[in-house]
Amino acid sequence: MRPREPLTPEQERDLEAIDRTLAGEPVEFELLELEELVRDIRATAPAMTPAFAARLEQDVSDGFPTPREPPARVRVRGRRWLLLPALGSLAAVLVALVVVLADGGDDTNTLMGRSAPSEQAAPAAGGEAAADQTARAGAPQTPAPATSTAARRAPSVGVTEAPRKVQRSASIALQTPEDEFDRTTDAVNATVARFGGIVASSQIGASDESGGEATFDLRIPTDRLDRALAALAKLGHVTERSQGLDDITGSFSSARARLTEARAERRGLLRALGRATTPAQIDSLKAQLRSVAGRIRGLDGALASLRRRADLAIVSLTVRGTGDGPQAGGGGQWTPGDAAGDAVRVLEVLAGVLLIGLAILVPAALLGALIALGLRFGRRRRREAALDPA
Amino acid sequence: MATPHNTSAGSFDALYRDSARDLYAYVRTLLGDDAAAEDVTALAFERAYRRRASFDAHRGSQRGWLFGIARNAALDELRRRRRAAPLVGDLPDERAAAPEEEADLVVRRTTVRAALATLSPRDRELVALKFHGGLTNAELAAVLGTSESNAGTRLHRAVAKLREACNAPA
Repeated sequence: MRPREPLTPEQERDLEAIDRTLAGEPVEFELLELEELVRDIRATAPAMTPAFAARLEQDVSDGFPTPREPPARVRVRGRRWLLLPALGSLAAVLVALVVVLADGGDDTNTLMGRSAPSEQAAPAAGGEAAADQTARAGAPQTPAPATSTAARRAPSVGVTEAPRKVQRSASIALQTPEDEFDRTTDAVNATVARFGGIVASSQIGASDESGGEATFDLRIPTDRLDRALAALAKLGHVTERSQGLDDITGSFSSARARLTEARAERRGLLRALGRATTPAQIDSLKAQLRSVAGRIRGLDGALASLRRRADLAIVSLTVRGTGDGPQAGGGGQWTPGDAAGDAVRVLEVLAGVLLIGLAILVPAALLGALIALGLRFGRRRRREAALDPA
Repeated sequence: MATPHNTSAGSFDALYRDSARDLYAYVRTLLGDDAAAEDVTALAFERAYRRRASFDAHRGSQRGWLFGIARNAALDELRRRRRAAPLVGDLPDERAAAPEEEADLVVRRTTVRAALATLSPRDRELVALKFHGGLTNAELAAVLGTSESNAGTRLHRAVAKLREACNAPA
């Protein structure tokens, strides 16, 4: 920007005299020469020809019926900068959509394997379906779980083609109103029993301040796990849920192969014992048979343990009783508190979208304004250059 | 005088009647060519007429706004022609031809025309805006895109140069 140049008293006096002369007013005596110059300059002003004056008068009175320049081009060129904010808005919406969709994808992944808070966990009404879907999605690279009916009925044609053995686990946290805490923990026991599961261990603590917390270590038959989880989810407001899969096929196959080998070895030893003739041979074979029998027992136990892991899913359940009012619990019902929570969530998402939009729009608008200013300045400079000597 | 926010058809007509001759004189002085001055003057009025709704009284007077439009059109014309406008040779000399003019007056105005021709295009434009266009210093500043004091300083310098040129021996 050009610095301001304050007018000197002499300049102010002369400029005032010029204005007075142009207005037809008298000036001071010592400025009469300037007054004369002003009048002479004014008198040299070129005048319109009568023909042009008449044409212009006609154009003005008719409202310029014949445009001298294409109006559309002028309009577009003059408002082209408006496209920048529009493009910025479009980009903001696209990015916001991508972010929102990506956010949704993360939630799905959370349910698949990782443990993370899931405030927007599936409502109880759809909980079972969601749990089933989650279970199916939880083993994308794995064939049907070994505990499924189809898998268990599949014929065993050999070690390498045996159905896969998978141990499933789940973790679920429920929130319930303080006054329903005891009833909820009782309902957990009943639900586990209803699905043929067992409570391996539990720890229940009640407090007037915190409202109480209970943790359960459950074993649920794998083939009933999804339905059991859905039923448990209905007992309170699900605040956290995760599931996991552990493929134990390798361990199972290895143990079974070693068991087969040990049994074959025992049969061989028994046949050798039948053919033995000396006391020393007999003693040696008996000792080997005892050793093999011990290995067989150990392998049988290991196999049984692996079968139990495949047949029973481990479920960690936490129940928290809170005094936060109806919003804290819900017991699977969509309450006004839930509605308020959902409304807040929607507002949060909208605020996020707006924030992202602004994060894109504001720099874009600033950039557009800078470009527009630069173009304007450049155009002015080019125009002004017409006054420079060639 | 109350200035309307936008230039309505009625006030545009008033603006035209108040400014047409001064605007033409300014453009003619800047371009130094009758035909081009007529085209640019008509174009300036047409643009002003079509954009009259966009006039904002808070940003200056209607007259300053109109002269700004005319200046842009004239400078575009100058750029297009890529040559500075000769001033004195093309200036009409109606008054000099008037028989009733005194000899002294004729000599003085011829001297002024010759002095104007010695000015730089920028100074010449300032003189034309002020003395032919009849703009106030505030309008001058708005048209030139500068401060009022800066416009006044530049105008004073241009007038000083003109006085020197007039007093210089032939």
